[in-house]
Amino acid sequence: MPVRETDLPNVGRKFELDLADGGQLSVVIGHDGTRTLYRLPERGGDAERVAELTGEEARQFGAILGGAYFQPAESETADVPVGDGRIEWFDVPADSPLAGSSVADSALRTETGATLLAIQRGSDTIANPDPGEVIEPGDVLVTLGTQEEQRGLGALVNKDSDV
Amino acid sequence: MLLGPHAPALWGFRPTVVADPETVSLVADLGVVLLLFFVGLELSLDALVEKGDRVLAGGAIDVGVSLPLGFAVGVLLGFDWVASLVLAGVLFNSSTVIVAKLLLELDWIANPESEAILAVVVVEDVATAGYLAVLSAVLLGATDLGALATDVAVVVALVAAGTVVALRGTNLVERLLDVESGELFVLLALGVAATVAGLGEHSGVSAAVAAFLVGTAVGRTSLTDRVEGLLAPSRDLFAALFFLSVGLATDPALVTREAWAVAVAVAVTIPGQYVSGYYAGRQFDLEPSRAFRVGSALAPRGEFALVIAALAASVGTTPVLTERVPAFTVGYVLATSVLGTFAMRYSDQLWALLPVADPQ
Repeated sequence: MPVRETDLPNVGRKFELDLADGGQLSVVIGHDGTRTLYRLPERGGDAERVAELTGEEARQFGAILGGAYFQPAESETADVPVGDGRIEWFDVPADSPLAGSSVADSALRTETGATLLAIQRGSDTIANPDPGEVIEPGDVLVTLGTQEEQRGLGALVNKDSDV
Repeated sequence: MLLGPHAPALWGFRPTVVADPETVSLVADLGVVLLLFFVGLELSLDALVEKGDRVLAGGAIDVGVSLPLGFAVGVLLGFDWVASLVLAGVLFNSSTVIVAKLLLELDWIANPESEAILAVVVVEDVATAGYLAVLSAVLLGATDLGALATDVAVVVALVAAGTVVALRGTNLVERLLDVESGELFVLLALGVAATVAGLGEHSGVSAAVAAFLVGTAVGRTSLTDRVEGLLAPSRDLFAALFFLSVGLATDPALVTREAWAVAVAVAVTIPGQYVSGYYAGRQFDLEPSRAFRVGSALAPRGEFALVIAALAASVGTTPVLTERVPAFTVGYVLATSVLGTFAMRYSDQLWALLPVADPQ
């Protein structure tokens, strides 16, 4: 994710960041400390001013963007270390080979070595699920295992059903 | 203009607030020093190395077209060659202060053309510093070409020596200026700039050029951001006072008398600026409509035009230099800064009207 830094003589410095959606975000930091935020909707377009922040406001807002105020839990990436192992969350897609099979049939433990701690289904959490519990598409599997075991589990959950 | 000694008498009443422009002119001298100090400060040698060829090519096109064009306008208006040289300086330099403000105001600043515009303005300002050195030598009594060549050679040698100090003395400058308190820092930086400028003036180099060199030296230290943040308000204040002092010293009647000359100069230089700005912009790989914007943005003239006119007025010996040129400059700056604002605002519409423009 390259950030381009350009010197704007007599004005300040410009920082540009390419966004995943094809747009571009620019910040111009003036000599007086003002941070002006611009957005370029597409390549070759004109920049639109989004906001003008004082130095203090920019630091506050930067901390929020950086996640210092609020840590969002994204199920794919969130993981909590527990000794050697770690707890991870896996979304079960509709075409997952695990969808529709029971916990016992899925043979998660024997296949990957990771332990299934709980299944999150909507707002319900099924802690320590029975072997007969059927995994449904859209479930979130909460599992404990080493990084390697978790990687194997991720591959199993997301494996194409025809393989 | 309306408050100075030349204020128009309305029903027998002159709203003269400041009778003696001399008091303001001292502040104005400091303003000039600060302006040049900032030019030096903003001249980032690292950035020049990084994309130097584009900056130099773009700047050379702009200066190479505008400066001779300004001289030609002077000749066209029937001025002698010294006055034409003064006029060339007045007509070629786009106002850094006005351009930077307009770029921010119109939200162009994050667009690619702004990099080109600001780079060209910096080259213009550096060229102005050199031009001022030559001009002061010419105005301060160089009568024949031999004496002029000697004077210019002395100035060039002193500037070269100063540049070496500026480049090599980075550590010294940094240690000298590295103090905690903000107020002390401002005073120290201003003091150093003013002292060196005074020394420069005394030894024959113009104060402005000396201030420019101090700026370059400071610009190479790690203190640049601090200097910019703390000193920019002082510069703007002094620049405003300078504008004010020029206004005070100007007789509105003289300005109106120069109206036709101003009209001729605008009619020649603004289209010229569009052409040179466009080709300068193309050096930065800008698409045509953006290169056209470079030409629009470079239209306003300002502080340096007035600096040059003030220099001509203070040391000039002919009535052309002391009266006509300053009055002309005030009119020209007023006209171009207003026109330039409109040129920028309606740049895209204007571009669409041009037959060369691609309708896409």
